Amino acid sequence: MARLFPIRHVIGYIFSLILSVVGLGVVFWDLNPTAGLWILIVCALIQASLQLVLFMHIGETDNKKSLYFNIAYALFVGLVTIFGTLFTMLWGW
Amino acid sequence: MKINDSLPLEYRTEENSNKIFGFWLFLGAEIALFSTLFAVYFTLWNRTGSGPTGKELFELNGVIWETFLLLTSSFTCGLGIHAMRLGLKKPMMIFFVITLLMGLGFLGIEITEFVNYVHEGATLQTSAFLSSLFVLLGTHGLHVTMGILWGAGILIQVGRQGFTDETANKSFIFSLYWHFLDVVWIFIFSFVYMKGLM
Repeated sequence: MARLFPIRHVIGYIFSLILSVVGLGVVFWDLNPTAGLWILIVCALIQASLQLVLFMHIGETDNKKSLYFNIAYALFVGLVTIFGTLFTMLWGW
Repeated sequence: MKINDSLPLEYRTEENSNKIFGFWLFLGAEIALFSTLFAVYFTLWNRTGSGPTGKELFELNGVIWETFLLLTSSFTCGLGIHAMRLGLKKPMMIFFVITLLMGLGFLGIEITEFVNYVHEGATLQTSAFLSSLFVLLGTHGLHVTMGILWGAGILIQVGRQGFTDETANKSFIFSLYWHFLDVVWIFIFSFVYMKGLM
């Protein structure tokens, strides 16, 4: 039975539960919006990395460099899309 | 055919390891897709017009359950792939069935939530906020729906054929997709629901 539950997966799962609870805390602790937003950003990024590394095994093959580049490039495109939109539509540039 | 026995079954032929690589490229495109939807949502989220705001609309209970179900299903999906690499067919299938059932549970809650919204008069046409919300959540929900159908098809194949190069490859690619949906949900949970309720 124990070999069906590898420690990396169990740790990843427990951490993602903890990070979700911390995210929930933002609603209950009555933080100021900036601090709350930063907590959410940090928790979400850590949790996404946990999924990529521990569950999706992004680093397990020889072409891991290509995979890291692919994800990094996709994130770059995504962030430019999101912040470019915010710059022009909300922040008045 | 070149076969590399040092790798897990799903990577062994060149074609299959290319398929896994190709799927990562697809996930890159999915990141771009969801980024555009988030960009629209962040632009419009306080344009609520005469409709309800997120704070008035969102129900914490449903969101907590959705998050718990999707996180746990991502975990069991990973365990399924681990069991597959150990060559254990029955545990793999059980883990995948649990994964898909939790996916169904997630969808059930999301659909109930949508129905409640519409009954409260918050429809796709009510405000720019609600249009962008429904499109973002709906696109994710559609992905989950497709994933459940896809996963069920793969389970049938694994049940019939056992672990072959092909079924192992398909199962692994499905697991990448499922984990990715969980990643997208983490961002929806944080930047739509928690930020909206803050």
